Amino acid sequence: MGDSTTFEIAQKIGVKRDAIEVASLWAAEKGLVTIHTESRMLAELTKEGWDTLNNGLPERRLQHILEKGPINISKLKKRLERLDIAIGWARRRGWIIIEGDSVQLTEKGFKEISIELPEEQIIKNAATAPVPITKENKRVIDELVRRKILRLHTEKKKILSLTEKGREVATKVGVSVEVSKLTPELIVSGKWRDVVLTPYDISVKAPTIYPGKKHFMRQVIDYIRRIWLDMGFKEMKGPILDVAFWVFDALYQPQDHPARDLADTFYAETPSHGELPSPEIVDAVRMTHEDGWTTGSTGWGYKWDENEARKCVLRTHTTSLSARTLAKLRDDIENGNIPAKYFSVGRVFRNETLTWKNLAEFYQTDGIVVGNVSFRHLLGYLKEFYNKLGIRKCRFRPAYFPYTEMSVEIEVFDERKGVWVELGGAGIFRPEVVKPLLGKDIPVLAWGPGLERTVMNRYNIEDIRILYMNDLEILRSARLWIG
Amino acid sequence: MPVISVNLQEFVKFVGTDLSITEIAEALPMLGVAWEGYHDGEFSVEVFPNRPDMLSVEGLARAFSSFIGVRPGLRRFEVESPGGRVTRVEGKVSPIRPYIGMAVILDFPMEENALLSMMQLQEKLHITHCRRRRKASIGIYDLDTIVFPITYTTKPVDFRFRPLEWDSKITLRDILLKHPKGIEYAYILEGLDRYPILLDNNGTVLSMPPIINSEDTKVTLNTTNLLIDVTGTHLKTVLEVLNIVTSSIAERGGRIGAVRILYPNKELVTPDMNPRSMVLNIKYATKLLGIDLTVKDVKMHLRKMGYEVEGKGNCDEVEVLIPCYRTDIMHQIDLVEDIAIAYGYGNFEPELPSISTIGEEDDIEKFSHVLRDLMVGFNMQEVITFYLSNEDKLFRRMEVPAEPLVKTANPKTEEYTVLRTWLLPSLMEVLSRNQHNEYPQRIFEVDDVVILDEKTDTGARTERKLAAAVCHADTGFHEIKGLVESFLKNIGIRGYKFEELEKGCFITGRAAKVLVEQDEIGYFGEIHPKVLENWGLKMPVSAMEFSVNKIYRYVKEI
Repeated sequence: MGDSTTFEIAQKIGVKRDAIEVASLWAAEKGLVTIHTESRMLAELTKEGWDTLNNGLPERRLQHILEKGPINISKLKKRLERLDIAIGWARRRGWIIIEGDSVQLTEKGFKEISIELPEEQIIKNAATAPVPITKENKRVIDELVRRKILRLHTEKKKILSLTEKGREVATKVGVSVEVSKLTPELIVSGKWRDVVLTPYDISVKAPTIYPGKKHFMRQVIDYIRRIWLDMGFKEMKGPILDVAFWVFDALYQPQDHPARDLADTFYAETPSHGELPSPEIVDAVRMTHEDGWTTGSTGWGYKWDENEARKCVLRTHTTSLSARTLAKLRDDIENGNIPAKYFSVGRVFRNETLTWKNLAEFYQTDGIVVGNVSFRHLLGYLKEFYNKLGIRKCRFRPAYFPYTEMSVEIEVFDERKGVWVELGGAGIFRPEVVKPLLGKDIPVLAWGPGLERTVMNRYNIEDIRILYMNDLEILRSARLWIG
Repeated sequence: MPVISVNLQEFVKFVGTDLSITEIAEALPMLGVAWEGYHDGEFSVEVFPNRPDMLSVEGLARAFSSFIGVRPGLRRFEVESPGGRVTRVEGKVSPIRPYIGMAVILDFPMEENALLSMMQLQEKLHITHCRRRRKASIGIYDLDTIVFPITYTTKPVDFRFRPLEWDSKITLRDILLKHPKGIEYAYILEGLDRYPILLDNNGTVLSMPPIINSEDTKVTLNTTNLLIDVTGTHLKTVLEVLNIVTSSIAERGGRIGAVRILYPNKELVTPDMNPRSMVLNIKYATKLLGIDLTVKDVKMHLRKMGYEVEGKGNCDEVEVLIPCYRTDIMHQIDLVEDIAIAYGYGNFEPELPSISTIGEEDDIEKFSHVLRDLMVGFNMQEVITFYLSNEDKLFRRMEVPAEPLVKTANPKTEEYTVLRTWLLPSLMEVLSRNQHNEYPQRIFEVDDVVILDEKTDTGARTERKLAAAVCHADTGFHEIKGLVESFLKNIGIRGYKFEELEKGCFITGRAAKVLVEQDEIGYFGEIHPKVLENWGLKMPVSAMEFSVNKIYRYVKEI
């Protein structure tokens, strides 16, 4: 038994360090151990230090930029934050010279591009564990502390060593019969009967365990899929890149509708155009837009352009799949395929820049019910769906979508903010949508709420970007979705 | 969608009954507008694009007043005959902006709120129903500064007049280059050498549609007689917008008068503010709504939405009179929805129909579920990343040659210029952003990529992939090989073989492709340090990627 710190002993036998320190004082009084205290200075990375670890020292970054040739100061200012610091240090190291407004590397500056500085070595070491200050590294560490890359803290250690008397006592009382680890040897030999297994301090911190896990959005998606499958819905699948015909025209969105603007919808450059379905369907859609065809509608009253409908877009909603499904049902509508129920869960796209409330791609779940159904049935399905998602206090309010009439917005009451929050849209497809696709005007209930809002409400997330940031800390610690 | 702000006092005045802000906030959404909030005597609501007639305090209050039963039924508008009010349309405008409609409002009780409301209504209509002024645009003038007949014509680019908010005459060319409204809307007149102009009998310029009015004919607080014009490329829209603006302003008082519009080959008297009529089948309505309604109920509900119902003899059908400002009624289904709104969405009893169908999951989705469970069993964390990417991430940083792929034509950010063709770059990005988190990091994704494919109707196909990456100080080829072997064994792929793979993202001699019957189903290896450097990673990574569609095919064969 050699010298040990109180910390080491506490770890070894699994009790609190305080307890060891109290016990050691008692033992010292009895002359069994001697205690002496040591303190040392450690250097650790500051927040800026971590940034420097990832991005490099300012002068290093400057050096890399200048590697390609001299650059004007004003240009450098745009490329490098805190340029003055970078220039100061690079000059001190003899890496650069400034002539007029132009900064360029010296010969030394070029030579030392790939030579690691002592400062960088220390920053790297400090990233794994605090670095003790020694005679050799003191100068460099002091410098880095001044640069606010490192900060110092003092660590105090109490070192215990057994006295001669202590050693004698230990042998006499047979301390060794107390063991902390139950080994296979002890079990097999039966010796475990002769030893005392040390009681542990159960409050000691255990190592962190990370499970393998599905992304929390996936858990919600899977749960929602289950809801539809349980209710007897069949899954619809279809293209992510689709022709505008299925995304807009078949859903009775006029060709000058603002949703079709470049500002809202991603159009594809390659492939720019795709193919339309059978002329029978295309003509029916065209005529419905132009004058209502035989749907009993006035239509939008404009000249429909086939070329506009052939443009390829990233689907702005999965309702495009519902339109495709209706057109597929057309051929065997008489063969007992109605009533029919379909669902989908899929990614949709909007031409947005990322902000705390907007994403360029997100999830939507669509459903349709084709048959002898009514508005009350629509509300019935929606209520059931949101009930299963654990949302009790919701209301239906009138809304507008070009392809549904009645149109409904489902809203949930946000208790914290005291306001109604939109969860998703639904409705009954207009005859102008159904008849051209299905060949017949049959009621079709339809909905297409997004998923993100529901998840954000449940997890109290304010910034939508967090959902797909894939921060492992968040994913590892996120509570499982139980429904 | 447009949000309008509404002066509470004005709103209450037009509704015609005393209302608290809480009552309004509760009831208005049930009419079909979204409540945005109340602040300092004004509330704001989002008006849906199908109801441009509610884009003003007057129009919103009119609809609400009927809805809550204060003033139900049809509003009728009397229009005085045009008399000498004539506007000539010259043939020159027909290739540019062929249609115009006009109305006058006489003895109008002008006040500051009226002026503000007119401005807001014009602005909101221009953005929505008028499609940013391209399809239609509105001008309102002081009628007393104008002498009929008016001429709608075109003028060359160096014609001059004094536009609103400008202190001198400038040329039409300069208006488009210098005036804020000119700069904003110049795109509508792009490529023309003559621009639309409205002139009165004295040669006074009324406006340069669809850009700007003249200072000479400006409406002020002293104006008592108004002239309204709407020009545009779509006659139906022009006349609709004219009705909405005229009926809104006239809610405040004054008399509406018509203008005779002489086109080269026809004559039109505008505005036509007579109601349209449409036949509603009661059974159609009750069946679709799932509630029982008598003719009397239908009549009551429709009156609450501003219609009048002329009862026919039989009970199956009624004739509904639609006010001239309701531009959204295309089909009797639109009337059915208004019945539902009047009935109250909250008053419908939700009901689940008994339709027994069998639920069925897509095969690839079902299989993906199984694969994700297996990956989780390997103690891996699933990530979900974006389909949108860019070529720098997909190719350059991965040190692989670029290949053809789906490109977006109009991305708002450089981040999103293509759809991804493989998953590994997404995983590398996740690792590069997680360097502050604890190692080892073991991540996977099972999701879609999009591949160009001329055989499909859209020119591209969606393919399901699986990728996994392990990142810690000791990872390498053998760890990922072990994972791949266990993976293949567990999903039941037999008879596969590994072959050396040269791919820029992997270290040469530390990568392999996985073949089944000479068909490559996936690959794995140790990521090249150059690639790690490209992503700013300081830890080794080993990774694998498989085609789920291909694997599924082979699994099903067994």
